[in-house]
Amino acid sequence: MFLHPWAIAVGLAAAALPIAIHLLTKPRPVLMPLSTIRFVREVLRQRRARHRLRDFLVLATRTLAVLLIAAAIARPRFGEQALVRDAEAGSGVRIILLDASQSMAAVAHGTEGIERARTAAASYLRYRPGLRANLIVAAASARAVFPDASYNLEALRRELSNAKALPERLDTQRAVTLAAEMLSKGSDSQGVRELVVLSDFQRSNWSQVDLSAIPADTRIQFETVREGDTPANLALLRAGVRGRVTQGATAALEVEVGNFSAAACPVTVEVALGDAVFRLGGICPAGRRTTISEEIQWPQSGWQIGEARLVDIADALTADNSRPIAFEVRGKPLFALVTRESAAERLTSSHYLDCALVPDANKDDRASGKIVRIDPQQPDRQTLAAADLIVLDHPGKLPAETVEFVAGLLRRGRASIYVAAEPIDAGNLRSLSNLLGAGLRLPVEFLADATDTERSGLFLTSVRNDTAPFSVLAENAAKITGQLRFAGGLNTRKLTDALEDDVLATYNDGSACLVLSGSDAGSLAVLNADLTRSNFPKTEAFVPIIEELVVRLLSPRTSEPAFVCGESLLVRLPAAGGTGEVLTIRGPTESVAGRSLGELTADATGSVWHWPTPDRVGVYRINREKNTREQDTVMAVAVSIAAEESPLESLPLSTLKDRLAAGRQVQIRSAGASDPSQDDVWTWLLAACVGCLLSELLLLLSFRS
Amino acid sequence: MSQATCSRFLDLRALAALEHMRFTTRHRIDGAYSGRHRSRQQGGAGEFVEYREYTGGEDLRRVDWKVFGRTGKAFVRLHQDETNLRCTVAIDASGSMAFRGGNKGAASKLEYAQFLATALSHLIGRSQDQVGLAVLGEGLRQTLAPGSTLPHIRLVQSEVERLRAESARRMATSLNQLFERSSRRGVLLLISDFLMDDLQELIAALRLFRHRGWEVIALHLVHPDEERLPAGTAFRFEGMEADGAVACCPAEIRTAYEQQFATHLGIVRQLTLAIGVDYRLVSTAIPYLQTLQGLLVERTG
Repeated sequence: MFLHPWAIAVGLAAAALPIAIHLLTKPRPVLMPLSTIRFVREVLRQRRARHRLRDFLVLATRTLAVLLIAAAIARPRFGEQALVRDAEAGSGVRIILLDASQSMAAVAHGTEGIERARTAAASYLRYRPGLRANLIVAAASARAVFPDASYNLEALRRELSNAKALPERLDTQRAVTLAAEMLSKGSDSQGVRELVVLSDFQRSNWSQVDLSAIPADTRIQFETVREGDTPANLALLRAGVRGRVTQGATAALEVEVGNFSAAACPVTVEVALGDAVFRLGGICPAGRRTTISEEIQWPQSGWQIGEARLVDIADALTADNSRPIAFEVRGKPLFALVTRESAAERLTSSHYLDCALVPDANKDDRASGKIVRIDPQQPDRQTLAAADLIVLDHPGKLPAETVEFVAGLLRRGRASIYVAAEPIDAGNLRSLSNLLGAGLRLPVEFLADATDTERSGLFLTSVRNDTAPFSVLAENAAKITGQLRFAGGLNTRKLTDALEDDVLATYNDGSACLVLSGSDAGSLAVLNADLTRSNFPKTEAFVPIIEELVVRLLSPRTSEPAFVCGESLLVRLPAAGGTGEVLTIRGPTESVAGRSLGELTADATGSVWHWPTPDRVGVYRINREKNTREQDTVMAVAVSIAAEESPLESLPLSTLKDRLAAGRQVQIRSAGASDPSQDDVWTWLLAACVGCLLSELLLLLSFRS
Repeated sequence: MSQATCSRFLDLRALAALEHMRFTTRHRIDGAYSGRHRSRQQGGAGEFVEYREYTGGEDLRRVDWKVFGRTGKAFVRLHQDETNLRCTVAIDASGSMAFRGGNKGAASKLEYAQFLATALSHLIGRSQDQVGLAVLGEGLRQTLAPGSTLPHIRLVQSEVERLRAESARRMATSLNQLFERSSRRGVLLLISDFLMDDLQELIAALRLFRHRGWEVIALHLVHPDEERLPAGTAFRFEGMEADGAVACCPAEIRTAYEQQFATHLGIVRQLTLAIGVDYRLVSTAIPYLQTLQGLLVERTG
């Protein structure tokens, strides 16, 4: 490919020039008789071969020199021609999409990817008459320097020089959509539309990108900063404890290490939590994620805040070698038993539950927890909010505000057991379900119809023995559950779009015995039976099943939410936080102070912390001021790098071109690869031309000598 | 001899400066008549040379009786006979002698030889010596036996004037023929450019002359344009002995050519000197009178 192909034709014509000049300027010999022609002939005979060689070499060097000059003028360009050329004349809109995600900080050949991308992008922001451009710095969010493409390329270059890799993952689609909007805005212009994407084209980010929003006539140039093999990287993908951590109990401290390299690697992870430091070690197979855990007893309750980091690891991406940790070691659980029944009465449903929840004899010093009875008509909200588990048994008709309060608690992650024994419970459950809306999707609807025959002698026909709580019965499950007889409760009707798995046990009449559903962050279990009329409380299965049910309810329904840098953070503070308290947000370091860390908003059931764009990795704390000097941490949140940024494997570029481009003009090249149009080959050609001329001179001198 | 000459190569006014000089030789020669040159024979006449003890059979008239009376021994008086010089001017009339260089108006080597031979014949004739002529080509083209009379001299000069160069690449034959026709010893003055194919044979022929006792003088004529090729970008040189043509750029071969020509000169000089020939390189750039004067002065001693 040549910049000036016409010069080739001229050059070929010029190549014949030395021959033509030789022929045209060949001197007409002067005719002269010579007596000593024999000596001339002898000399010529001796020198003929030498002169022929000299003439050939001289002619060759001259012709070559002319050809080299022609080639230099033609400006040859090796390699594939760039689809988007910085030197191309004409007006147009050019959008530079710069991937600033965390993976762009990966170092390859001593240079960060973002550095290479910046250098490559700068070449596309050189001044060109008629060029309007814009720069989109894309990570979790895509930020354009100008609302529309601008002629102010200087400002774009300035912004480009300030761009750096952010601890965020790339929202590819958002960035592409923004670029498409910019390109579409420029549709009224007559020039070309160009999109230059500079990225590492990480597989996890780019595999599902859809380029259909980009105008069809857009020239798309993908420039990758990743060349050759994928750089080896080890990463801490997760760090924390799984499940509920209770004071005095043991819980597994887990770290998940990803080895994104070609060889297995021994790793040591140092977890610093306050003053304590734990070292976890293991072998990470190549290309796998490995979870390393260690059982640790947690003597103190409260928030454990710290950092896990890989020790003595040198890899491509250092930012993912450490990870903040924040989890809470909870104290003894507090059960709130909302019932009309008196604690003094025996052989009541609430009494059975009281005994099952806290089975120890000495209830003042029970290691398994504490139970508080609450009057459903006049509930103590403070106690309710502080309770870990709310048990509703024979509550009667619950006041609307109580239902609303309980619903709020459920939404915030509280667990609850509802013993549906009376028809009025159907109404309470319906109210609760209505308040929680789509957040609570019970698999069945509890019916309060009194026309049906009395429910008694019910036995279980379908039990989910493989899951809690019935899994506690192990191999005796069938035998034990077969002996259980139930009475009371409510008829149920299956909902059409219900989850079958939420029904843990079913009576012989088809009604549900035990259902367990999630309600936003919390969980609700409904035991559909009148315990006083059932033999269930009197069997040996009652306590373990209730205990197991409580454990399941108190355990986080899902793993701890991972808060990722750059993505919207929404945390519902524990209801215990209260609404009238003064809460403050503290960042991981003092330098964060003074910047916006989101906002705290309060509603009826507590506060919500919302931060649209957390931009820094670390542990953020919500503190409650006890007094002017003391602060109590209500919530701690670890904001970390998205684990998706750690595998540095790039999407095959052919996939980008063939599958994602959908027929558009797409070119893929290495970022920073010299643009053939800017190639300096012509200088070398000129140098070679000069060399040819010098060679000719040397030839002539040497032959003369 | 009148001022009006028969040969256009004879310029008596120019030769007037050389009238007092004569062509002579250091060797003793055989002559037909009495002359000014030392004869090979020592007789009773002429200039006294020395005494020699009488040996039996000698002419008693040469015995110096006065010496015999004083010494009692018979000595013979020896006298150097003087005779005239027989010079044969052999002119190379081959094609190469017509070379006159790049300047068309300049004299050719043959013309130079003609001037030289005419002047020399005039001087020799004035000295009452005999001068002959031989025109050398592929064969002996013409020969005139030496003579000293004015008509003979004029004949020689007219023959010299009529000389035309003809292609001749070999010359030894003509010289051999001249040798065969020459019955008496004398001086052979060969004027040639020595550009022939049979140089060795020519030298052999000259050796014959030397063996017979001839004094051989070789005047090697060289044109300046032969010594160095003419300046110019391209020339097409045509051979003068019907030996084709060749085109070349003189600048490219100048040095090699000069070396080649110098080698040729050296060979000729070496070969001729080796057989006792009085070799003299004559450039046609030098006026022939100057050349002639130098030759006469040197020979006069």
